[in-house]
Amino acid sequence: MTLAPGETDDELLLRTQSGDEEAFLTLYRRRQAGLFRFALHMGGSRPVAEDVTQEVFLALLREDCGFDPSRGTLSGYLFGIARKLVLRHLERGRSDVALETEADDYAPPELAVVDDPLLDLTRREGIDALRRAVQALPRRYREVVVLCDLEEIDYADAAVALGCPIGTVRSRLHRARGLLLDKLNQERNPRQAMGTLKPVRCLL
Amino acid sequence: MNCQDFWNSFPELAGRGEHPHLAECTACESRMAHYLALKQGFRALSAAGPRLEAPPRVEQRLLSAFRRQTGADFRRPSRRWVPLVTWAAALAAMVALAIFLVRPRAPEAERPPLRRSVEMAMLQVPQADAEGFIPLPNSAGVAADGDEINLVRVEVPRSSMIALGLDVSADRAAELVEADVMLGSNGIARAVRFLE
Repeated sequence: MTLAPGETDDELLLRTQSGDEEAFLTLYRRRQAGLFRFALHMGGSRPVAEDVTQEVFLALLREDCGFDPSRGTLSGYLFGIARKLVLRHLERGRSDVALETEADDYAPPELAVVDDPLLDLTRREGIDALRRAVQALPRRYREVVVLCDLEEIDYADAAVALGCPIGTVRSRLHRARGLLLDKLNQERNPRQAMGTLKPVRCLL
Repeated sequence: MNCQDFWNSFPELAGRGEHPHLAECTACESRMAHYLALKQGFRALSAAGPRLEAPPRVEQRLLSAFRRQTGADFRRPSRRWVPLVTWAAALAAMVALAIFLVRPRAPEAERPPLRRSVEMAMLQVPQADAEGFIPLPNSAGVAADGDEINLVRVEVPRSSMIALGLDVSADRAAELVEADVMLGSNGIARAVRFLE
């Protein structure tokens, strides 16, 4: 059976569920890379990302996969499954080493940067620094940055994947970017970052 | 529009920093500039290094799983009709049985005589002669004096006695039993005598 190039994910899924192998492969090849990268950024290892990618599509093959087109796109649904699987891996392996600043009322830092760290973000050192900063984000901020900024999926899909309202996606993204800027600023200006520490009196 | 309203309505990095509020607020303009630089950094990070995707073995495993599933689950919908067909067949059988039982039967006298004679013949118990030979159907019967006959002793399944109207226990039907077969001069069997 030939597939139209502009065939939507939903159409491919319907054909997949009726046993169309080519539709399944098209859907897989269209979505696997983004899911793999998301799992890699969140889980931190290739084997985990590989397992997660495979499990996502196995879940899709089940008759009762639970996808409801009225609640969002298939892409958001797939990222949602991937997220749950990654969290399960992390809970099992305790491999999440991010700084867990989980409070949603975190205030983003002021952006008064003395030596602008963003000028070289497109260079190798800048890219490495940004990668480290993303990895160091608390999980709830890291996942929204990976989805919206790195994978560039829209906020509605991210909301489906994260199981929260769009407003929450916006606010988390806003705070995540603030944290990233703060982290990059600290890396670039360690002395300034040290200056933010409160002095304590030594009694000995 | 104040700063809060601006960021609430314009938080995405999709914009290029062109907004009236940015022209009048240097703090937001600076913040937006940083966000746009961050956006470029994200794009550089995405594009950096080798293209990351699942290895080909994942596709192979999924394809195998899909084929297994296609052979089983995706054909399952047709099985959903099995109970329906079964019930329909049972209903049809019940209706046919009811029609058969309720249908008025023709009086005994109206039934064709030929058919009645056949039924009577079928009900008749085979009559053996003095030596125990049972005449076979459609044969010349037990030989009279002077006929040239041959006797052949054979072993036949006990179930063959049923064909002659004799009672045979079902659990012994497979056993062999000795029998004398009376053959006429033309070689055709005329009667049989079971030795039990």
